[in-house]
Amino acid sequence: MATAVEDRAETAPRFAPLLGRFALAGVVAGAASGLWALVVTERAIAPALALEEARGSGHDHGHEELVSRSTQLVGGFLGTVFAAVVFSVVVAAVYAAVRHRLPGRTDAGRAAVLAAIGFGVFALLPAVKMPANPPAVGDPGTVGTRTAIYIAVLGAGVVTALLVSAMVGTLRARGLHPSAVAAAGVLATVALVAATVLLVPDNPDAIGADVPAAVVWDFRLASLGQLAVLWTTLGLTAGYLVDRLARRG
Amino acid sequence: MTSAQHTRTRTAPAIAVPAWAWALALLALFALYLVAQDDGAVLASAGDLAHEFFHDARHSLGMPCH
Repeated sequence: MATAVEDRAETAPRFAPLLGRFALAGVVAGAASGLWALVVTERAIAPALALEEARGSGHDHGHEELVSRSTQLVGGFLGTVFAAVVFSVVVAAVYAAVRHRLPGRTDAGRAAVLAAIGFGVFALLPAVKMPANPPAVGDPGTVGTRTAIYIAVLGAGVVTALLVSAMVGTLRARGLHPSAVAAAGVLATVALVAATVLLVPDNPDAIGADVPAAVVWDFRLASLGQLAVLWTTLGLTAGYLVDRLARRG
Repeated sequence: MTSAQHTRTRTAPAIAVPAWAWALALLALFALYLVAQDDGAVLASAGDLAHEFFHDARHSLGMPCH
């Protein structure tokens, strides 16, 4: 039973099988958040589309016939799955690179930590700086500017995560008390998030007077919930699968 | 518990990340950019169709749209 002892010792999985586990978790996370999209987010999109119709011309998308509404529902689901799989492939590479530095004694714990950081960078920070807008909000003329702002916010989030984790690692290596390290980490995060919110330009679009606040906020919360389902499912599922992989050796 | 065992339970061994993994991650992000952000600038007319097809996903994932 020599192998039984080895099984208990933690081994580093090779990258290829790790990537496979993450990609599978990405499909599961995409399906879960895609279902959320169909059941919750689409219900928040419907009144916004009704507003667009009521305006008559709408925007460029108004020439609906290119893709029917029901096809767009399918696209909403598949697009969410696709995004989740893309995230899972990126997170797999990052996870493998930083696994030995992540807090947590098991892969399940470490994957949950990394997924929480991913949610913070790719969902929570954009939601604070540049909340999602439903159809009926958005000036086609500013889409380039808004895309640049969105990418700048994501970049600032990645830089924040890297700087804070580097700082926490350095302070911990110097033997600082864990509570002092945690306090320093929180302060640095708050400072960098505040700098991002203050320094990155705001979304230039005004919300039309004909768009009720409830339509906008129902949509924003549904969108944030969808991303929360995506990242939670990704972290927990990948953690479970990679944990089993690592234990198997 | 010996110190060797102690170390092993505290820090996980590092994993070697092959270069192709980063290339794949970048490619995946670029593909997501194409279906999510692009208004047909790169994919031309096929972009219009993809843009409309993924319209709801783009909105619901919080990405800028039209």
